[in-house]
Amino acid sequence: MNQAMKTDPFILRRYFALAIKNLRRRLVRTSLTIAGVALAVTVAVSLGGFMLGYRGAIDRSINMLGFQVMIMAKGCPYEAATMMLKGGTGLLYLPSDTYDKVKSDPEIESITPIFVGVAQKQGSGIRDDAGATNFSVISGIEVLSYKVMKPWIALKSGPGYDGGRWFEADSKTDVVLGFEAAEYEQRKVGDSFYASIAPAGKPEPVMHEFKVVGVLERTGTQDDGTVFMPIDVAREYFGRPAQLTILGIKLKQFNAVKMREFETRWLKLPEVQVVGLQQVKNTLVSLVATAQTMIAAVAVIAIIVALIGVINTILMSVYERTAEIGIMKALGARRGSIFQLIWLETVIICLIGALTGSILAVVGSSLVERAIRSIADFGVSGSIVSITPQVIMYAVSGAVALGFFGGLYPAWRASSMRPVGAISKGV
Amino acid sequence: MNDFIIEGHGLKRYYQRGNETVKALDGVDVSIRKGEIVSILGPSGSGKTTLINLLSGLDAPTEGTLVIDGKSAAGLSEDELVEVRRGVLGFVFQNFSLLPTLTVTENIELPLLFLGLQADPERTRRVIDAVGLTDRANHLPRELSGGQMQRVAIARALIIEPKILVADEPTGNLDRATGESIIALFKKLAKEDGLAILLTTHNTVFGSQADRAITLEDGRIVALNGPPNKLPLH
Repeated sequence: MNQAMKTDPFILRRYFALAIKNLRRRLVRTSLTIAGVALAVTVAVSLGGFMLGYRGAIDRSINMLGFQVMIMAKGCPYEAATMMLKGGTGLLYLPSDTYDKVKSDPEIESITPIFVGVAQKQGSGIRDDAGATNFSVISGIEVLSYKVMKPWIALKSGPGYDGGRWFEADSKTDVVLGFEAAEYEQRKVGDSFYASIAPAGKPEPVMHEFKVVGVLERTGTQDDGTVFMPIDVAREYFGRPAQLTILGIKLKQFNAVKMREFETRWLKLPEVQVVGLQQVKNTLVSLVATAQTMIAAVAVIAIIVALIGVINTILMSVYERTAEIGIMKALGARRGSIFQLIWLETVIICLIGALTGSILAVVGSSLVERAIRSIADFGVSGSIVSITPQVIMYAVSGAVALGFFGGLYPAWRASSMRPVGAISKGV
Repeated sequence: MNDFIIEGHGLKRYYQRGNETVKALDGVDVSIRKGEIVSILGPSGSGKTTLINLLSGLDAPTEGTLVIDGKSAAGLSEDELVEVRRGVLGFVFQNFSLLPTLTVTENIELPLLFLGLQADPERTRRVIDAVGLTDRANHLPRELSGGQMQRVAIARALIIEPKILVADEPTGNLDRATGESIIALFKKLAKEDGLAILLTTHNTVFGSQADRAITLEDGRIVALNGPPNKLPLH
C-alpha cells in the first residue's frame, strides 16, 4: 500500500452510500420492510398526537370556560365534566339561593350563575333525517357576570349580523345564538328561532318563538352550539324559578391549597359539589386512558412486528451476500467495517420508515381524528389529534433506536463470518 | 536478508469432518519472491485453494510457520490475519465477485473504503487504463463481458498498490483468448511493478507461463517446475 494515500475523514458518508446501494438491490423487499416500519410509526405518531392533542384540547376547552371552579348539584364528576364542556344531558339543579350564599366568599374574584336546559327544536326545516340533532342547549345567563368570566366573547358583525346585541335581563323573546347554533339553523340577526320547552312537571312541551338579537363569534367551546337567553326567563320557561345548574367561579388566587380551602368551606352545603379544573381534567383524561392503553398496545405490537420484519430482511440479505461479505473481508474489511455496514442498512430502513410513517401520520391526521371521534365522543371541542415536531422527533428517534438494537444481531452474524468459508459458499 | 515476500514451511491444514480428519494440506514448503509469478496446479481437491488461502492470510495453518511481508501469520486469529493482509494483498477470484450495484469505478475503489483511504480519481483512472477499461469506467458489472469483469477485479486488487496479488482460478470462467490476455497482464504487472503473483489454475498452459509451477496432489507437492535457483529445497 502506498503510504502517500490519504485517510478519508468522511468515511462514514461512503459507508452510508454503500449501504443505500445494497438496500436498492432488493427494492421490493426493502420497500415492503420500510412500509412495515412506516405503518408502525404512523400508528405510534397518531397515538402520540392523540394523547398530546386530547390533553391540549381538554386544556383549551377548560381554559375557555373562563372559570376555574364550579359549584353544581351533587352527582357524577363525569356529568360535571361533560356538562361544562358539552352542555350535557341528565341535568341536576341547585337551589338558586346557593348563589347568594357563595357569592359573598372573600376569595372569589368573579362568579356567574348559569341555568342550562334542553329544548326541542321546532320548525328549523334544515334537517329532519335520523342523524339530525333535535334539541338545543339553552343557557340562561347573567350577561354582565358572564362577560366578565369570558371577556373574549364577541358578537359577530358583517352582513346579516350587524346591529347584533345582547338581550335585556327581562326580555322574554330575545336570544343570542352561538356561532354553530346560528350556522346550523341558518339564522341571522332579526330572524325568528323556535324551540319547544317542556316545563318541569308538565308532560307537554310549549313552543316559543324567539327573536335572534345577536350571533356570537366562534369560540371553539360549547358556547358555539348554545342558545343564550336571560337566566330568569330560562328558569321560568323550564319551570324551575328557584333553581340553577352551575355557578362558575374564578378565585382571586387559584392553587391546590386555595382550592382545597374553598372546597372545604362550601362542601358544608348538603346539596352541592365543588369541582375544580384539575378534577375535571383528570376525569376526562381517565375516560380515554383505557382506549389509549389499548391503542398503545396495538402500536407496540405493530412496532415489534415491524422490527422482526427488519431483522428478517437484513438477515436474509446477509445470508444472500455471504460470499460478498467474504470478499469484502479479503479486500481488507475488518470485522467492525462489516458490522458498521450491515448496522447502517438496518438503521437506514428504520429511519426511512420512520420519516415516511411520520409524513403519513401528519397527512392522515384529519382522517385519524374523524376515526377516533367516530368511535367515541371525547367531550371536548377542537382538534384532539396534535402531531407536533416533538412527537415526530420521539417517534423517529424511537424507530432509529430500535433499528440500532435490531441491527445488532444481523451485523454481528455478518461480521463474524470467516472469509474462507464465506467466499466458498458463493463461489 | 532474503527477498522472499511469503515464506511458508511445513504448512499443514487439517479439518475435522465428523470423526475423520481431512488433511487438506500436509506439510508443504513454499516461498515466493517479489516480482515472481508462481502458479499452483493440481486436480480438484488437491489442496490448491487451501494453500492459496494460507499463503494469502485468509486462513491460518494448523501447523507450520508462515511469514507474509515480514509478519508471522501462523497461529493468528481471524482479526489478527486481517491486519496481516490489509494493504499488502490484492485478491482476484474466479467468479469476479463484483458488487452488482456499483459501477466499475466504485467497485475498483471499494478496498479503499475498508482501508479508510480517500479515493484518488487520478490513481483510479490510471488503474482503469492499465487494465484496458478506460471506456467502461461508469458501467455496471452486468454491462461487461466476463473478461472485462475479471479486469475490473484485477484493477480492484491493484488500487491499493499491493505487494502480492493472489488470484484463485482467475481464468476459470474465461475463454482461452481472454485468459491469455489476463496472464499477459499479470506478467506485465510482475515485470513492471515488481508484484509477486500467486495464482491457482487447472490450465497447465497458463500454469506453465509462470516463473514457477507447484503441482499439488492430496495436499502434498508432487512436482516443481522452474529455474533451480528459485526452487524451494523441500
